[in-house]
This record gives sequence, C-alpha cells and structure tokens, in this order.
Amino acid sequence: MSMYQVKPICGGDIKIDLPTCMYKLANIHAQQGTGCNPEHALQNGEVDPAVKALEARQNEIMRKLYELKAAVEGLAKTVTTPDADLDLTVSSSLSSQSSSSTTFKGTTDLDTQLGKDHGALRDIVVNANPAHPPLTLLVLHSLLSQRYRVLSTVHVHSSVAGVPPQLLSCLGPRHADSYARQMFQLGFTLIWKDVPKVEMKFSIQNMCPIKGEANVARFLFKLLAPYPSDPALATLVDSWVDTAFFQLLDGSAKERAAVLRALNSALGRNPWLAGPDVSLADITCYCCVLQSGSVSSAPANVQRWLKSCENLGYFGPAKLLLQ
Amino acid sequence: MCVPDRALVRVQDLTPEKADQLIWLRARIHTSRAKGKQCFLVLRQQQFNVQALVAVGDCASKQMVKFAANITKESIVDVEALVRKVEQKIESCSQQDVELHIERIFVISQAEPRLPLQLDDAVRPDGEGEEEGRATVNQDTKLDNRVIDLRTTTSQAIFRLQSGVCQLFRDTLTKKGFVEIQTPKIISAASEGGANVFTVSYFKTSAYLAQSPQLYKQMCICADFDKVFCVGPGKKSSHHVLPPCAAFTLVRSLRCFQTEIQTVNKQFPSEPFKFLEPTLRLEYTEAVAMLREAGVEMGDEDDLSTPNEKLLGRLVKEKYDTDFYVLDKYPLAVRPFYTMPDPNNPKYSNSYDMFMRGEEILSGAQRIHNAQLLTERAIHHQIDLEKIKAYIDSFRYGAPPHGGGGIGLERVCMLYLGLHNVRQTSMFPRDPKRLTP
Repeated sequence: MSMYQVKPICGGDIKIDLPTCMYKLANIHAQQGTGCNPEHALQNGEVDPAVKALEARQNEIMRKLYELKAAVEGLAKTVTTPDADLDLTVSSSLSSQSSSSTTFKGTTDLDTQLGKDHGALRDIVVNANPAHPPLTLLVLHSLLSQRYRVLSTVHVHSSVAGVPPQLLSCLGPRHADSYARQMFQLGFTLIWKDVPKVEMKFSIQNMCPIKGEANVARFLFKLLAPYPSDPALATLVDSWVDTAFFQLLDGSAKERAAVLRALNSALGRNPWLAGPDVSLADITCYCCVLQSGSVSSAPANVQRWLKSCENLGYFGPAKLLLQ
Repeated sequence: MCVPDRALVRVQDLTPEKADQLIWLRARIHTSRAKGKQCFLVLRQQQFNVQALVAVGDCASKQMVKFAANITKESIVDVEALVRKVEQKIESCSQQDVELHIERIFVISQAEPRLPLQLDDAVRPDGEGEEEGRATVNQDTKLDNRVIDLRTTTSQAIFRLQSGVCQLFRDTLTKKGFVEIQTPKIISAASEGGANVFTVSYFKTSAYLAQSPQLYKQMCICADFDKVFCVGPGKKSSHHVLPPCAAFTLVRSLRCFQTEIQTVNKQFPSEPFKFLEPTLRLEYTEAVAMLREAGVEMGDEDDLSTPNEKLLGRLVKEKYDTDFYVLDKYPLAVRPFYTMPDPNNPKYSNSYDMFMRGEEILSGAQRIHNAQLLTERAIHHQIDLEKIKAYIDSFRYGAPPHGGGGIGLERVCMLYLGLHNVRQTSMFPRDPKRLTP
C-alpha cells in the first residue's frame, strides 16, 4: 500500500555552518573506504592485541587478590582460636599484672574477651535471686576487682519487695570515683531480682544472656585467666564446676554425701582439685560446700583442703554473707 | 446550726452491713431497662455502681415504673430506697452483694436524651470494639465532649492518679526541706527563645507567657532560699543538686495506686512499670556505644533523636530490665548556654535527662553560677546579651552552685500507665488545633 506523499518541506541541500571551536570526530556513520583493515578484522571476531594485554593484566590482579584474601582468612582463623592467646602467654612468660596474691597462671586481655570498649564503660549485668545469693560470683568479683578497675553497683529490682542490708553491701563499699563511669575498665552491676536462675547480660547485640551460676562463673573466670590448655584438665575443671552446683548445692542429702566422698578421694592425691594449681573448680566447690552447710560433715582431706582455700584469702566476701 | 435534712449515702458504702436500711442516695442513671411491671436501673457514682429496682407494689405505681424507665441516661437522681442483700452476686456492678429497692425517686438534673457519646463505648478497649463490632469513641470526640468523657472509670482513675502524683511530688520535696514558690507567668523576654512563644498584650506594650519558671527559681537560689520548687502549668520544676532521688521516690510511691492502675489497664492494657533501686545511672558515652552496637551511626557529640531515645530505652530495658533510668553527662554542644560544663572533660556537661519507657520526662543540669562564665557561654551561643541582662545580673552578687530540672506531670502519668497519647492524661488539652473546651 503506498503511503500518502508529502511534498518535502525543506530542500535536501541546505548549507550548514559547522562550528570551528569544537573537536572534530570522524563521522561514524559514513561509509568506510577499503583502507581500514583492522576494523574489519574486529568485526570478524578477532581481538585487538591491546585489549588482550588489558585482559591479561586484569586476570593477574584478580589472582593476586584471591591469594591475599586466602592469606587474610588464614590469619583470622589463627587469631580468633583460643590457642593463639595461650601461645602468647606461654611465650611471653608474663607474671600477674597486679600486686594481688592471685596465683592464676597466664593473663587474659579484657579487649579480647569482651571486645573493645569504644570509650564507654563495659558493664556486666548479673541478675540474682536474693533467696539464693551467688557466692561464687561474689568471690570472682573480688578477684576481678583486684586485677582490674571495677565499678561495682548493687540495685534492687521492683519485682523484689525488700532485701537484707548485707546483700546491698555485698560488693564492698562504693568507690569514690563512681560518678565517673568511663574511668573504669569494667562494670559489675548486681541486680537482686525475682529470677529462677542467675542470669548475666553483657552485650545485647552480640551475646545472648548467660543462665545458671555455673556458666556465669565460667565466663567471669575467663576474664581472670584462661582455662588449662590440656583438654583433659579443662574437662576436669568443668566437671567439678557442674558437680558443685548440680549435686552439691542443689542435690539431695545422698548426692551431697557422694560428692563429699568424691572430693575426699580426689584431694587425697592432689592438693587441689584439678592439677597442681588452684582453679575455678576449687573456687566453686568451696563456695558450694560452704553454702550447702556441709563444712562440719566433711571428711579429713576435704577439711584440709577447705583450710588451704581459706588461706588463699579470696573467700572473705562469701563468708561475710553467710554469717 | 444547719443540718442537712437528707443524709446521702455513697454508693461505695452500700455493703451487706446496711441491709434492710432505708437510705437516700444521689447518683447518675447509668442504664435503665423496663421489664413488664419492673424497671431495673444501674445507678453510678464515679467508679462505683449499684443495681436498683422499681417494682409495681405498695410504694410504686405502674406510672412510677414507667417514669423511672424513661429517665434519660446520665440524669442525676435522688433515690430513697431499701438496701437488700442478694443471693447471687451481681457481676456487672461494683457493689455486688446488694441491690436497692426504690421507694421514691426524684430527678434533680435531667440530661438531654441524645448524648454525644455513650460512656460504655468510651471505656471499651479498642481491640474489643473491633472484634465484637461494638462502637468505640475516637479521641477527638472524647476531647470535644470532655465533660462526659471524664466521667468514665478510666478517666477518673487517670486523673486521681495524677492528683496523687502531684501530691506525692509536693510531699517528697517538702519533706526534704524544699520551699514552694510562685513565679511570674508573664515575662518581658522570651526566656529560652524558639518558636513556641505566646505573646500577650501588656498595657501599652506586649509581653510573653513564661515557658519555664527556671530563671526565677535560680534567682531564688541566689536569694538564699537554698531549695525551691514550683508546680504549675507549662513545666513543673524543682531546683536541687540531687533531683534523681525525688523522681525515684515518686515512682516507688506510685505503687500505692494499684486500683487506679488496674482500672486504666482494663481499657489500655500495658506492661507493669519496672525500675531499679537505687536508680540506674548511665553515662552518655555508654548510650552512644549501645546505640552504635545496635547499628545507629552517630557522632560522639550528637544529640539523641526521639527514635534513638526510644531505641535506647528498649536496649536499656533489655539489659537492665528497668523502665526508668537517668542518662548523665550529655555533650555540652547540645545543651543550652547556661549548662555547667563538665570540669573533667570540656566536651561534656553536668547535665542529664531522665527517661520513662524510653521517653524523656525530665531535662536537668547544673547551672552556671558565675556571671563571667555565663556571659562567655551566651556569646558562644550567639545570644543577645541585652535580652538576658537581668538574668546575668542575678549572679553578680554571690551565687551558690546549683542545679535542677523540670518534670512533666502529664508525661509521667502517661508513661507510668503505659498510655500512648499525652492528651489522655491532660484534662483539657491544648494543641495547635485545639483551644476548647
């Protein structure tokens, strides 16, 4: 079908004055002459050598990048495993930083355990039921206070009607500088609250709450010293910690008696419960023996060990509370 | 001597002890329902109500029963009735063990038949309204007819609580040796500047309504009154070096208003208010660290936006399980010119905010008591010294170090009860769109 013919509005031969100030480019639409072989070659699928060189350089750079990435990942793995810390402590042979009588081997770094402080107080919040004061945690608190500058505060939650005065002063007297929270390395906020189990909160974004006095004790202990590097010994410590809480403190009379017998036989071989040095096992077992009222009925080795514990001088706060 | 000839008994005192007594009572008709030869009425006084009965018999004729059934709702009536014990508890009334058998009934003040809103609808929780397809009343209608809306049990509870808060506030401060003062409400210069200043015509010139009595309280401190407070519209304030304990005593004492709190919770359910004793005090740097950990990007000296304040409230609630805390050592850059800088760190100030359920209820600080430093800070904030000359002058003749803050009464009630709109705790609220009732 032929279209409606319109007469041309303007002639095809208009003269245009091209501007001379602009950069001139060859007309890309104009028909090419026969003297442009390279371009023809491109259109046939061959590749310009310049482009090839560019590609080769790019591949080289990518390869180097992948190698770097692998190297960094390897490094990251080694830095975040616990062994790295121990390697440092063993090789640097540092002794305890403070002048306290603590005999815990090895040192730990608060930044590694808790994350950098970002210029603000790192506050550990412990919720405990006033009906079952967590003696182990009080002992660990006093050890922490000797090692670091700790800001300790005690609060009573509205879910609890009232609390005896010794529970309000169980973390010791108020620090003179307590208005300047940033000056402290660590905060320890104890809240007496109606909770079924002891609970600890630190970083709400990165950590879920830690429940159970045994677990909180493990966390706090790691701020003082690492667990023994020997896995068998570490497991032994853990086992005693659990025994202390579940069978000694919360167990029936029969279970308690069994634990005391086990303690007795273990202490017949070694001065301390897990290896040649004091460990978390000794701290927790001592507190649980005290709290369960089993001191008088303890067998001979246990009595001797109880005396040795007392000589360490850590357990003042616990004994004060039980009076 | 004038003895009333009619001893009116309160509805809340209608208990089985009064059984078989003939008493007079003045109350409102809450509902009336005729059923053949009887008419059942529910008579209401504030949050208490009781069932009453007019039956055809010795004292009442058929016309009287019809008259009783036709009395409009909300009318005020005087009733002479016998108190009778009931075997089955009347669940729908506050007085569940008795009912009234009416012998005489008089209408004292009649209400118009068409009420702008029904009290039962105004008290219905929003969720229930949607589920059962029953009406609820929206806030504007309630506020337009505040006189009726305030009669609901919820409103009665809210404002009785608020009155209690105000009373507790006065009592707590007075016990601590504070003096209550009255400050001028019309002032010559806009005290804190800003757009929300109301101008009034004043003799041949104009003046402003005072936004805050702060400047006058400070002058009183310089006048050796040591501890002062004043309660009034706009802001309620106290000036002392340790306000957190007063605010805290308030929060703890509010526990004695359990009935009121439960009444409000029936219509507006909320989580019970939790707090720590002594009050939790966090520093601004900790707040910034917590917010950054939660993904908020902010500078060390940035102010907290309202969404950030609410987020911080949730974070603090999660970590410490408290709805009430104090945030201390705000950055100097975001506080008014009269705030005393922190002596240990020039970037920060001795100023604090208190929060309830993540919302600010009080902003306070130590004020600068040195005229020279005050002038420097005013210049730094580019404030016209002429406008505040009288204020600076008051510190030139010996001024003690002092500080304090202002608490919002309505906000405290709103936040304590877990309500969401401050108009609910404001009796006759004013806002840009509302000037009546």
